[in-house]
Amino acid sequence: MSEERTTLEIIAPTVEEAVAKGLADLGLPSEAVEVEVLDSGSRGLFGLGSRQARIRLTVKNQAELQSIAVGGENTHERSEASREENIPSAALEAVHAEEPEVPEGEDTSLRVARETVAELLEKMKVHAQVTSKYVQPEDPKDQASILIEVHGDDLSILIGRRSETLNALQYISSLIIGKELEKWVPLIIDVEGYRARRERQLRQLARRMAEQAVSTGRRQVLEPMPPSERRVIHLELRNHPQVFTESVGEEPNRKVTIVIKK
Amino acid sequence: MKELIEFVARSLVDDPTQVQVNQSRDVGKVHLELRVAKEDMGRVIGKNGRVANALRILLRVAAAREGKQVSLDVIEPR
Repeated sequence: MSEERTTLEIIAPTVEEAVAKGLADLGLPSEAVEVEVLDSGSRGLFGLGSRQARIRLTVKNQAELQSIAVGGENTHERSEASREENIPSAALEAVHAEEPEVPEGEDTSLRVARETVAELLEKMKVHAQVTSKYVQPEDPKDQASILIEVHGDDLSILIGRRSETLNALQYISSLIIGKELEKWVPLIIDVEGYRARRERQLRQLARRMAEQAVSTGRRQVLEPMPPSERRVIHLELRNHPQVFTESVGEEPNRKVTIVIKK
Repeated sequence: MKELIEFVARSLVDDPTQVQVNQSRDVGKVHLELRVAKEDMGRVIGKNGRVANALRILLRVAAAREGKQVSLDVIEPR
C-alpha cells in the first residue's frame, strides 16, 4: 500500500465553496476525501480585510473507503483525525490472528482494567483485541496511568465525533474499574493509536495557528474540542513568547483561542 | 443493548440485586428503562447526568450495529 496520498489545497471565499470546488476538481464524492481546514477565512467587517478560506483535501485510500461504506457516519467531522489512519491490512490481520495474551503474574489493576474494557466492548458488539499496560507519567510525582489499547478492524465507530465515544468509553470504564479496585486509577483508552496521532496533529495545529496569530495580529479561534484536547493546545503554547491561550464558551462547544501578548 | 446497561449498572451500584432493565421495541427503535435502588440513582446518573449521557453514547454504538435507534431513561423508584 503506497503512503503517497493525493492532496490538493484550495483557496476560496468560504470553506464550503473551497470544499465544493476541490471535489469538483477531483471528481470525487465528499466521502472519498479528508478535508482539513488550514484557514477558515474571515469575512472581515463589511468586506474589509476579508481573508479567503484555505483547505486541504486528501484522497482516501481503498481501505478507508471501504470502512466508510460500512461505518457511514461522522466521516466528515473526523476528517482531520482519520487522515493518517491507514493501517496496513497485513498488520491488522496479524493482530487479528493473535489470541489475547495473558501475561503471567499480571498485576490485578491491569487485569481488571483489561477485562472491564473487553467486556464493555463485547456488550457493545464491537470485536476487538484489548491490551493493558502502565505508562509513566510526565511528572514523576504523578501516579502511573493505565493505558488500554484497543485494536481491530473498522473501529472508527469507537472514536466518534470529536472522540465523544472514546471519551464516554473511557469515563464509564474508569468508574467501573475504580469501583472494582476500590481506588481511582488514571485510565487512558486508545484505539489504533488514535490519541497519540491526534495529539501530534493538535500540537502541529497549535503551532500553525500561533504563527498565524502572530503574522495577522489577530486572535485565532480553534474548533470546539473536548477538555483533554484543549489541554494539549494550552500545553504546546505555554512557553510561546508571543501568544497566550485561553478557552472560551461552554461545553461542549468550548474553544481554545490564541491571543497575541500585549 | 440491555446487557450493556445491566453490566454497567450492576458494576456501578452498591446494590446490584435492585438493578432492573426493561426493553421495549418499536419499528427501528429500542427503548430502555433502567431502575436501580433509590440510594444508587446518583451513581447511574452522575453529576449533570454525565454517567447516563456516557451510557447513551455507548448504547448508540451497540444500536448502530443493529441499525436501530435507542433511548435510555433512568426511572425514579417509587
